[in-house]
Amino acid sequence: MADGIQKHEYVDPRPPVLGPGHDLRSVTSKIADIVFMRGFQKGWVFGFAVAFLGALMLFNTIAYLVLKGIGIWGNNIPVGWAFDIINFVWWIGIGHAGTLISAILLLLRQSWRNSINRFAEAMTLFAVACAGLFPALHTGRPWMDYYLFPLPNTMGMWPNFRSPLMWDVFAVSTYATVSALFWFLGLVPDFATMRDTAKHKWQKVIFGMLSMGWRGDARHWSRYETAYLLLAGLSTPLVLSVHTIVSFDFSIGIVPGWHATIFPPYFVAGAVYAGFAMVLTIGIPVRKFYHLEDFITVRHIRNMCKVMLTTGLIVCYGYALEAFFGWYSGNTYELFMMKNRMFGPYGYMYWLLILCNFLVPQLLWFKKMRDSLFWIFVVCMFINVGMWLERFVIIVMSLNRDFLPSSWRMYRPTVFDFSMFFGTIGFFLTLMFLFIRFVPMIPIFEIKVMLPEAKVDEHKVEELTKGKAPVGVTPVPQFGD
Amino acid sequence: MNTKYAAPADLGKIQGIAFGLGLLGLIGWVIGVVMSGGHAKDTFFQTYLVAYVFWIGISLGCLGLLMIQYLGGASWGLVIRRPLEAAAHTLVLMLVLFVPIIVGLHSLYEWSHDPSTLSEAARKMVEHKKVWLNPTAFAVRTAVYFAIWLGLAFTLRKFSRQQDENADMGAVQRAQNWSGPGFLFYGLAVTFAAIDWIMSLDLEWFSTIFGMLTIAGQGVLSIAFLIWILVILGKREPMAHVYQPKHFHDLGKLQLALVMVWAYFSFSQLLIIWAGNLPEEIPWYLERFKGPWRYIGMALIFLHFLLPFLLLLSRDLKRDARRLKLVAALLIVMRIVDLLWLIVPEFEHGGQHHTSPAGYVTYVAAVIGLGGIWLGWFFWQLRQRALLPYNDPQLHEALAAGGHH
Repeated sequence: MADGIQKHEYVDPRPPVLGPGHDLRSVTSKIADIVFMRGFQKGWVFGFAVAFLGALMLFNTIAYLVLKGIGIWGNNIPVGWAFDIINFVWWIGIGHAGTLISAILLLLRQSWRNSINRFAEAMTLFAVACAGLFPALHTGRPWMDYYLFPLPNTMGMWPNFRSPLMWDVFAVSTYATVSALFWFLGLVPDFATMRDTAKHKWQKVIFGMLSMGWRGDARHWSRYETAYLLLAGLSTPLVLSVHTIVSFDFSIGIVPGWHATIFPPYFVAGAVYAGFAMVLTIGIPVRKFYHLEDFITVRHIRNMCKVMLTTGLIVCYGYALEAFFGWYSGNTYELFMMKNRMFGPYGYMYWLLILCNFLVPQLLWFKKMRDSLFWIFVVCMFINVGMWLERFVIIVMSLNRDFLPSSWRMYRPTVFDFSMFFGTIGFFLTLMFLFIRFVPMIPIFEIKVMLPEAKVDEHKVEELTKGKAPVGVTPVPQFGD
Repeated sequence: MNTKYAAPADLGKIQGIAFGLGLLGLIGWVIGVVMSGGHAKDTFFQTYLVAYVFWIGISLGCLGLLMIQYLGGASWGLVIRRPLEAAAHTLVLMLVLFVPIIVGLHSLYEWSHDPSTLSEAARKMVEHKKVWLNPTAFAVRTAVYFAIWLGLAFTLRKFSRQQDENADMGAVQRAQNWSGPGFLFYGLAVTFAAIDWIMSLDLEWFSTIFGMLTIAGQGVLSIAFLIWILVILGKREPMAHVYQPKHFHDLGKLQLALVMVWAYFSFSQLLIIWAGNLPEEIPWYLERFKGPWRYIGMALIFLHFLLPFLLLLSRDLKRDARRLKLVAALLIVMRIVDLLWLIVPEFEHGGQHHTSPAGYVTYVAAVIGLGGIWLGWFFWQLRQRALLPYNDPQLHEALAAGGHH
């Protein structure tokens, strides 16, 4: 054996993060052309129309809800919370993938995130918007919602600061604000590119305003990078805190099935799980429709599958421990809760959940499955459904049979519960369709960074500048430095 | 064997020092046990449990990190891979050292007592949990945990040897393939071991996050331990020219992340149980809010989280091994304190008897005493092989100067 480090011809076995044969110009045109395309493609129009019908259904439901009150929902006593909170948690969870991809993967220097982050962040924003509708309308008088905030008032009424619902108001509104800022900041350089490549005057004006005077100056970039890292650093604890606080909504209470110490990490993992499933559910068709295979590559999809598998297993670890401790605790109510979950009147929901969130996603262990878009899509659909079922199992099944058998009551959703839920899906998709058509959905400049042209040959720079730092280049701070 | 990265010759001396310290600890431990009056037997087993859980924490934490660095596929794992492998190998020793716990079951776990001697409520609990908590099942489960851990440790070691001996490029891939499902079984085994060994000290208390909390605590301890190993090796050739600030920087970041995760889990558990205030859960905390435990708990908040958290935010500190090792030392000490806080109140039976100051010293002596044996085994393993996986294709990247920091 030779001494010293041996240099082997090491070929990275992973597929590339960017398709071959691209240069600066082709990247810009490939992404910007989707926005500058004249007219609308039939597929887009059809998809948009269907989604918009869903959104209209939502608006109608909201109008009727405000007119009649929340009695039109199936909520009852003891199930005072049902679809409204299930859908809230479901949507908030879906949003988490966006922040994870854009902030945490940035801090971990995972460059493969570059092509999917914008898209995922847009999803975050729209999902949070959908989520916010539910608690806001659940109050019954949404025009009084400002009472959720601790505003000084002559009646001396304050929200209960010990209530996790109060914490939710702060967590979710902060999260929405930071996500919006992060998304917009990332868009600024691309808006400038759009301004410069636009052919019509009005397009130049609109993108010109949105790009806020960006000239691509070295100083702009330096400040941009700093701001982007700072926002990433801010968003990272938010990803954890939002879903942790959502989990406190339940675990701070003492209802069996809600009061479990594992809830915070288990909810966060579930959120990321659901979020990645949704990114893929939307990403796979969009990638095909707009021929973006070079930017959203097999590598991206494989990596996302691995994240789903990991977070999915953490969620299933939670299921397993809840079941085990239901028995181990020796507590009558815990024991009953677990029996009721598995074999009670809604027992089929629990087993469906196990099928969707545990059994089917195990397919992702196999490389063949991780390479087949069709199967990934199928698995993602199961996860989307499974994560909704999980919240149903936790929320409704714990409430409808609690401590006192005389107050037990079954819960049945009404048509308005469904029209509101499917309506938000329509609303979400409407916004996604608009986003895809009118905003560059893949960050142009971040893709360019991955091009061979963008790689600085440090030895050459040193040779040219003879050891002096090149003029106009300031070192960019990295997070964690 | 590759001689360029051979372990320094005086590692044997360090092993000897560790043994010597361990011997002093053993003497202190024996004195403490003998002096404890009529409870010598109980004191021995109770102090032994704390020491055992502490040291197996490093073995298990390192086994977990070994799998994670394979799964992550990043080059930072290369410089710590050999210490991780050596620490995982100590599980062989820990299997043998588990015997005293089986022997001392009666001094440790109330569920092993004759139910007729217990109170009505406790008896009900014991009867309910008898299927799970009985000496046979306890021993069988422990055997299963060790089968999983040792199976993983030896399999990964086999691949690593293949890489060393045959420059086998597929070894890393195979290790990766094993690490994925391996980590799953490892996590379950650690969770249930934590329930068996620690949680079941209290007949009634339960907390679903406890397994994850244990894994996070072991992670904190293992990273702190690795920082020290790198400091010791980095003072000597050949590693003096290999380790760079960036390697300590990486470990410092991991240490920061794990300190935060540990605090996050601990705080979640406390908040949820405190807010619920249920009779089956809150007594566990109430016992720890009383007497000296109250201050020890406060110390955990400030010295196991706040201070290291604030210090580790500094980039300069993370890149400076001399200062980083002080934070690591603090965390190692706080891990012992955390284990005392978790375990010892259970032996006081709701304040029926208090642990004397000499009692605490006995616990610490036990940790040091067992540590001599553990560290001896660890250094013996570390000396067997080159200190770096010299055939790994990513080694060049791992040792490149500067890096993207």
